[in-house]
Amino acid sequence: MLVFAASDKGGTGRSVTSCNIAYRLSLAGNDVAYLDFDFGSPTAGSIFEISKIDRGADHGLHSYIGGTISSPHQVDVRTASDRPGLRMLHAKAGRLALFAGDRDGAEFSSTAEKVRRCIELFRRLDQEFQVCVVDLSAGRSHALHMALNATAAPEIRSAPVRWLVFHRWTRQHIVAAHGLVHGNDGLLDEGVRAGHEREALQDSIRFVRTAVPALNSPLAADRPAQAKWLRTCNDELKQLALRNRLGHSATLGETPVEPVLQWREQVISDADVSGNIANAATVKAFDELARNLTDDSVWEGL
Amino acid sequence: MRIQPRQHILDIWRAVLATSYQDGTWVWGGRDESNSISDAEQLLCILYPATTIENLALDRPDTIADDVRTALKPLGDSNRIPRVIIDVLGDYIDRYSDENGEPVFTGGCYLRREASGTQSPATAEQLELDIVDAYSMSVTLCLAALGFINVYKPVVQRRSELRRKVAEIESSTNRRLTAAMLGLLRSFVVNTAEPEDPSGRAMLHMMNTAGVSERIVIQELRNSLSRVRARLRDDVRIGVGSDVALDNDNLLFECGWAWGIADNAARIDFVSEDFQQRSGVAEARPYLYFTVVALDGINDLLSPRTRELGLLNEEQRRLAEALQIRWDLTQRYWSTVARFGGQAWPLENIPWQTSDGKESDYYSLLVSSVLVQDLVNRRATDDDLTRAVWVFEELARRGRITSRVTKNDPAVALHTPGVQMTLNGSEQLGPQIYWSAADFAPLLLKRTLQAAKLSANVTARDRLMVVAEATMDHLARRRLREGPGAGLWDDPVEVLFSAGGSADSRPSWYLTERVIEGLVTAASTYEETPLRTTHMVDNALELLSEADHLLNQEILQADANDRSELNTGLLEIEATLTRARKILNERPSSASALAMEALRKLDELTVARIDAARSI
Repeated sequence: MLVFAASDKGGTGRSVTSCNIAYRLSLAGNDVAYLDFDFGSPTAGSIFEISKIDRGADHGLHSYIGGTISSPHQVDVRTASDRPGLRMLHAKAGRLALFAGDRDGAEFSSTAEKVRRCIELFRRLDQEFQVCVVDLSAGRSHALHMALNATAAPEIRSAPVRWLVFHRWTRQHIVAAHGLVHGNDGLLDEGVRAGHEREALQDSIRFVRTAVPALNSPLAADRPAQAKWLRTCNDELKQLALRNRLGHSATLGETPVEPVLQWREQVISDADVSGNIANAATVKAFDELARNLTDDSVWEGL
Repeated sequence: MRIQPRQHILDIWRAVLATSYQDGTWVWGGRDESNSISDAEQLLCILYPATTIENLALDRPDTIADDVRTALKPLGDSNRIPRVIIDVLGDYIDRYSDENGEPVFTGGCYLRREASGTQSPATAEQLELDIVDAYSMSVTLCLAALGFINVYKPVVQRRSELRRKVAEIESSTNRRLTAAMLGLLRSFVVNTAEPEDPSGRAMLHMMNTAGVSERIVIQELRNSLSRVRARLRDDVRIGVGSDVALDNDNLLFECGWAWGIADNAARIDFVSEDFQQRSGVAEARPYLYFTVVALDGINDLLSPRTRELGLLNEEQRRLAEALQIRWDLTQRYWSTVARFGGQAWPLENIPWQTSDGKESDYYSLLVSSVLVQDLVNRRATDDDLTRAVWVFEELARRGRITSRVTKNDPAVALHTPGVQMTLNGSEQLGPQIYWSAADFAPLLLKRTLQAAKLSANVTARDRLMVVAEATMDHLARRRLREGPGAGLWDDPVEVLFSAGGSADSRPSWYLTERVIEGLVTAASTYEETPLRTTHMVDNALELLSEADHLLNQEILQADANDRSELNTGLLEIEATLTRARKILNERPSSASALAMEALRKLDELTVARIDAARSI
């Protein structure tokens, strides 16, 4: 299965959430590949805390897609991470392989040749791994364009492809996420141009709400009037989301505000929760996203 | 206890799923074996609130509220929830259609064999008898289902398989609705009696509260019911057999619904031929219970919601028109006799006695139900309602809701096993069978809340709410605490039986559905704007006037260049008073509170000035 993580704006928590989803999927026994297609700023190495590819690898995805090497550099997170917690292996856990971008790599434009190399890579990794998570640059990027063109290719068609669009729970983010998918030259338009069928493509897209404040928590507001205000705002955001076709039926799940992630983008492990550092609700949300992502009945749609 | 419909309903939903949805399948039945009425009640526990209270709606996956999704988690995510509802609905329709697809309205084990409530079986022929309760419950269920489908259908536009299934269920639901309406129409009856007959005597006895001569009572009764009688004679031919002598002005009469299809029921000729119109055995005499049940069902048919959503087809609209005439006349009849006479109302003369000589507080409650409904149509006045408040209070007391249960208390029987009614005519097909109505408490809850919703009198509404809350207390204590039905009804032991004992731990859908109806009524009562009186507005105006004047004085004394806290304080006071003026008419008491806050702050300034002036 190929999973593409997109977002219209930066700072949505797209990379950190998809890293965590990939991690949870591997804990659940899946062999997972994580591909950093955020070509402008490769960060996956630092989220998995692998210092030698902190800012990118030597022969990473840039070189592969640019055509200078035949196979991109691959790191096993479980052995390479500096974080002891991530190195500990469950007996049932699957592999987690990171394909980082090049050190100091930059965004580049999409060409037929580059798309062909993407197809080649996706096809190979889809056979080797159960889930490939591809983290795309923000906005209507070249990475997104390549991904849409690659997945329209007949060689890839047999693999299930799922698109996740991340957005924060604010007015601007909701409108932007809608625009990225439904707007002119958005994901759907571009996809159709690349050869996808519009309805089928739309059925394979789900939104993920990130850092959604917990309104029912005793700490949500300091005063009753403030709480009432927040709640009313939240109701209006729901209405806005619905008008923008970002309702529950189009949403895969949501993640709560997590203090740890506000201070450091990282993988939240079960030890972080049992050590009373991270919130249990956060891990639960990641788990649910991972489960829903691979649950076909969730993707049946309407 | 404060009635919190949304919270209570979500609690009930969780409990319903815990017992009815196991391993992904819906399980029918509870304390009573599954039958067409009980299963409709079970399904309505979910569907009724979901289609009447907007923020509990389940028909659009995207707008299901967060807490509702959490409560219904066992059914799946928000896309799955409406799909399961549709499946269960389809299952219900299948279960209660015979091999030819003909809808079935039988009472099953709700038909009691003996007055004591033991459920030894009736004959097969009796079990196949249609019951008015099933018609009415089906009307409510089908309307709720059609409303649900109406919204859900466009949602599944793109899934052809699902769309086909929904369309299929919609058409069979429509068929069931038509059949139920047809049944209701055919079980409407008019009964006449000579004043000297036992039933005539009973009716006169009930009406003659002033103790005047019988001749005068008959005369006055004839006058006040002349319009009803004339319309029954002229406009209503169906259900009023030719043997009913309405032309004879000397006869007393009553109209309403029998317990099933009457033995003299005529055929209805304006519906399509594929609906079976079986002949019945029910005695052509209105039963108060079935009359109120039928009125309630028809009420749903005539509701603005049904009209707005355009739920009825051409055939159903014709049936609804015919039912509306009967609904109207029956309302008018019972509301007139309830308030008959100059002095004390027959309704105030508790307990009510029916024409077959049976007496019960429950019958008084049923008659007051009709009166409350009449208030909706504004034929009864607010003064009538205020007067009826006493009746509700008295019924709550006599029904041991606001008073304690005494030793060997006969009132306990009102709640359990309930009021027994002989289904006259059924003995032609086997042993005598009975119907038992055990919904005194939930019915009282629903009616007092309905009355409270309509009341324009602050004191009357307050008294009604006190009764409603006491009834909710009573009902909350009757919830099952453990076993498969935990959180549902009914465990009467703690409240009604001081001697102790143990209750059936399975849920009674009969009672649970009726509690749900009460809670739905509470929700619609709360949606009204708060009551206000001219006195409240006057009071707020007086306060505002003083506050405004004092504020003007302060501003007059203030330094025009002042930017200190004093200036901020005065601006705040001004804003408070502006807000108070704005809400003066809708919420006079809130306006008073704001005015008082302003007055208090203004007084602080005055005290400060006086204190400072002292030293000069």
